[in-house]
Amino acid sequence: MSFSEVTLQLLNGFGTTCLLFILTLVFAIPLGLIISFGSMTKFKPLRYLTRGFVWIIRGTPLMLQLFVVFYVPGMLFDTPIFATIENGRFVAALIAFVINYACYFSEIYRGGIESISKGQYEACAVLGMTKGQTFFHVVLPQVVKRIIPPMSNEIITLVKDTSLARVISVIDIVFAAETILSLRALMWPLFYAGAFYLVFNGLLTLLFGFVEKKMDYYKV
Amino acid sequence: MKRKILAIVLVLVLVLSCVAAFTACKSKKTDAEYILDKGTLICGITLYEPMNYFNNDGDLIGFDTEFAEAVAEKLGIEAKFQVIKWSSKEIELNSKYIDCIWNGFTVTEKRKENITFTQSYLNNTQCVVIKASNAALFANEEACAGKRAVAEAGSAGETAANELTTNVTPKGAQVDALTEVKSGTADFAVVDVVLANSMVGQGDYADLAIATGIQLESEEYAIGFRKGSDMAEKVNAVIADLLADGTLQTLAEKYGVAGQLIK
Repeated sequence: MSFSEVTLQLLNGFGTTCLLFILTLVFAIPLGLIISFGSMTKFKPLRYLTRGFVWIIRGTPLMLQLFVVFYVPGMLFDTPIFATIENGRFVAALIAFVINYACYFSEIYRGGIESISKGQYEACAVLGMTKGQTFFHVVLPQVVKRIIPPMSNEIITLVKDTSLARVISVIDIVFAAETILSLRALMWPLFYAGAFYLVFNGLLTLLFGFVEKKMDYYKV
Repeated sequence: MKRKILAIVLVLVLVLSCVAAFTACKSKKTDAEYILDKGTLICGITLYEPMNYFNNDGDLIGFDTEFAEAVAEKLGIEAKFQVIKWSSKEIELNSKYIDCIWNGFTVTEKRKENITFTQSYLNNTQCVVIKASNAALFANEEACAGKRAVAEAGSAGETAANELTTNVTPKGAQVDALTEVKSGTADFAVVDVVLANSMVGQGDYADLAIATGIQLESEEYAIGFRKGSDMAEKVNAVIADLLADGTLQTLAEKYGVAGQLIK
C-alpha cells in the first residue's frame, strides 16, 4: 500500500476527526456557560442538580458515556434511535462529546467568573448598569482573557479525545489507521496518524498564543 | 425547602414519564418479523481477509460478505454491512444496531449463553504465532508453559492460550496480539488460523511465523443472532438450500476456504 493511498484514507478519517472537534466546540462552549450559571445559581435545587450532573459527567469515563448515549436506547427501550438518522454514530458521538466538554468548560467559566471582584459589580450598580450590561460588558471580557490558558488546555485534549469515538465505530483517523493495520499488516500509518494530530495541535497552539496577545490590553 | 421538594418531584415525574414512553414503544414482534419487516439484515463485521474486506475497486467482498448476500437474497431482503469494534459486538447486537454477527464468529459454550447461533458453516483452528527466529523454542505445547502469551480479549484464542500458559495478556484485537509478539513484549500470540494465514509473514509481520508443531483444538464458525431469535432457524433453512445447490461450495473455493467448509 503506497504512501499516497494511506494518506488519502487517513485524510478521509481526519475529516471526521476535524468535524467532530469543531462541532463539539461550537455547541459545548455556549452550553458550558449555561451549565456554569446553573452551578452558581442561588436557587439551591437547581444548583445541586447541576453540580451533581457535572460530578457524574466529570467522574465517569468518556468512553462509557459514548456507550450510554449510543447503545442504551436500543438495549433498554428497544428503540435504536441513532439507527434511523443518517450518520447516527457520528451524531451520538457528538452528543456525548458536547455534554462531556460542556461540563469541563462550565467549571473553567465558573472559576473565571468567580475571580471577578465584588467591587466591580458594586461599581456597575452605582453607575446604574443592569445585570445583563454588567455581565456582558464588564465581567465577560475579563473572564475570556483569564480562561484562555485553561481553555486551550481542554481544547487540545479534545483534539486527541475525538479518537475515542471509534469505540462506537465512528470512522476517524485512528480507526482508519487501525483498519490499515489489520488489513495490510502495516504499522507505520498509526504513527503517521499521530503526526496529523501533532501538526493540528501545533496550529492551535499558535492560534491561542495569538489570541492571548490580542487580549493584552485588558490589564487586570 | 418546599421549592426543593417540588423540584425533586418534578424531576422524578419527568424521568418516569420518559421511561414509560419508551417502554410503551417496546415491540411485541418476534426478531425474525422485525428483521423481515424492515427488509434489511444488518451484519456486524470487522474487516479481514478472506471474510469481509475491500477489493482494489473499493467494493466489499469476501466469503462472509457474499454468503450473507446470498442468504438475504433468498429471504427476499437486503444484506447490509456495518463495520463494528469486535469488542462491542454483543452490545451492538442487543441494542439492535446490527441484526447478526457474521464475521468468522467462533461458536463457544460461553457465547451460547447470550447468543443464538445458526448451524456452523466453517471449521477453524487457533494457532500459535511466534517470531520466526524463535521457531526452535516452540516445538510443542509443553514449550509454551511459563511463556508470555497474548490473545484477543474474550476470543477462543484467549481460552486456548490460558491452557498453554499462566501468563496471558488480553488485547483489544487479534492484530494487536501480533504487534505484541513483533515488538517482543510477548513470546507468542494465539489467533485464528484464517487470520494468521493472511497476515503472518507479510508486511510488518514478515518476521513472524506460525508454530507448526503446536496443534490446538479446532472450533467452528457460525452466525450469531440475538438470544432466543427465531431468525437463526430461518437462516439455517437457507444455508441448507445453499449447500444443496452448490452455491456455498463455489464461494468457498473462490475464497480459498473450501477445505474448511462444513457440509
